[in-house]
Amino acid sequence: MAIELIENGESIKSDLLTLNMGPQHPATHGVLRVEIKTDSEIVAEAIPHIGYLHRCKEKHSENLDYRGVIPFCDRMDYLAAMSMEWGYALTVEKMLGTEVPRRAEYIRVMVGELQRLASHLMFFGVYAIDLGAFSPFLYAFQKREFILRIFEELSGARLLYNYYWIGGVWNDINDGQLRRIAKFVDEMKTELDKYHTLVGENKIFIDRTANVAKLTPEQIYSYGATGPVMRGSGIKWDLRKDRPYSIYEEFDFDVQVGHGEKGTLGDCWDRYYVRMREMHESIKIIEQCLDGIEEGPVMGKVPKIIKVPEGETYMRTECPRGELGYHLISDGGKTPYRLKVKSSCFTHTSMLGEMAPGQMIADFVATIGSIDIVLGEVDR
Amino acid sequence: MHNEIVSHLNSAVPGCNATAVIAEVGDSSIFVDSAHILKVCEDLATGDWEMHTLQVITGTDYEDRIEVSYVLCSFTKNNELILKVKLPKADTNSVPEIDSVCSVWKAADWQERECYDMVGVIFKNHPNLKRILCPEDWEGWPLRKDYVVAEEYHGMKINPEHKINNADHHFFKKIQETQEDPKKVSFSWKGE
Repeated sequence: MAIELIENGESIKSDLLTLNMGPQHPATHGVLRVEIKTDSEIVAEAIPHIGYLHRCKEKHSENLDYRGVIPFCDRMDYLAAMSMEWGYALTVEKMLGTEVPRRAEYIRVMVGELQRLASHLMFFGVYAIDLGAFSPFLYAFQKREFILRIFEELSGARLLYNYYWIGGVWNDINDGQLRRIAKFVDEMKTELDKYHTLVGENKIFIDRTANVAKLTPEQIYSYGATGPVMRGSGIKWDLRKDRPYSIYEEFDFDVQVGHGEKGTLGDCWDRYYVRMREMHESIKIIEQCLDGIEEGPVMGKVPKIIKVPEGETYMRTECPRGELGYHLISDGGKTPYRLKVKSSCFTHTSMLGEMAPGQMIADFVATIGSIDIVLGEVDR
Repeated sequence: MHNEIVSHLNSAVPGCNATAVIAEVGDSSIFVDSAHILKVCEDLATGDWEMHTLQVITGTDYEDRIEVSYVLCSFTKNNELILKVKLPKADTNSVPEIDSVCSVWKAADWQERECYDMVGVIFKNHPNLKRILCPEDWEGWPLRKDYVVAEEYHGMKINPEHKINNADHHFFKKIQETQEDPKKVSFSWKGE
């Protein structure tokens, strides 16, 4: 891929330079190392190296009882820990056939959507920092802080909650908290429009993101990308809509897809805008939850010692970053025989090598930001 | 659905010996012969079942065999399928082999690398079969049931004594030694 320059009739050959981006680098969102072969400013090849945050969660799960796995799920995607727990709780409930009370389902949906808001706000702020704008980060963190406060009141922790239990949720929500959430989401509607005007419509931002790192539907299918990355390429697919779990079929919301308004379909700007509009959808769902929440218990009937019957299951849930799948294989004992986690971030990181060639290095930073990876989930 | 796929596979890929395991609890799966996995995957991906996407490859270690599960999913038909193969192990250290499906789905590249890294299955014709999560010179297959953590890595002791937090352990041991019934509430803090 080295360029051959012709100068005064003589050809000058340039060589590729290897550049290590990471593992300690602010633009790689954690401990990701990308080995970039550059030709001056242009990326010829990018090889992601992962594993710096590998804690072998899957091995840990094999030695813990079914309840004990939940805190370990938190530590995968620490920016959307509630969603990680939810997927696991649903997996075990599917095998046990547990009925979750209605109030718990409402709380789960509401907290899950608040978590999506928090996670996308984080994306919004950090993506702006990646592209050189600092102030959006402060706006986003201010609002995210409110959600973390609510979660802290619910679960006692700010980031790693252990809140979704098998059969329901750990703690009930009270009216004061519901009132504050209602006020917050009402504020957020205008705030989000403001954020989008501030960043998304900015000329520099559009120049940096539009037409960068386009992904075609064929690539999406072949790599198995999901979530906002998939929807950014115009594929209308959302597990909450197409295969509703929990009580999502009762809610009215739209699946947002990219249209390629500012550049081509499936570029970084589309992925950014899908997330921004998804936040509006989350707000819609939270408002419907607030209208419909019922009284009742928040924990279903679960045996004291959970023994999952022999068999296997694969459960998919829609997390902020994409589909999370748990493949649980049980031999009838007190611990999972095998618990494999299908992480969307892992899949998206594997696409970096495909997206990078031909880009400028600065655009590559925009690319990493646009797929919104959390290294805890990549390495598990 | 599973029985239809089984009859379709048995006619489309002769010798693949597909059998369905219909589960009462959880999800059903389909077992195929490991020698024909590539053809089976090609057929499922491009044929009428439209399994466009490979979601995950799970390797599971059993005493006498390793089972590799391919979770395929179709976005057009809105379903998913667990496809399994059994790879017999001659002894505990043996590393079984199977054809790579990288040519069918690009997702298989990293998934197979992870399966190789964690469970120790060699995927033949894989373009870049290297460890992915562990360092390249790591020894052993961590997710096998008989895996024992090495004592040293590059001269560094793994889990050195001074880094293990034994405070809780010592505390409860002390309580057990000093009190007959540790759970009994004595109200000793109230004084006389």
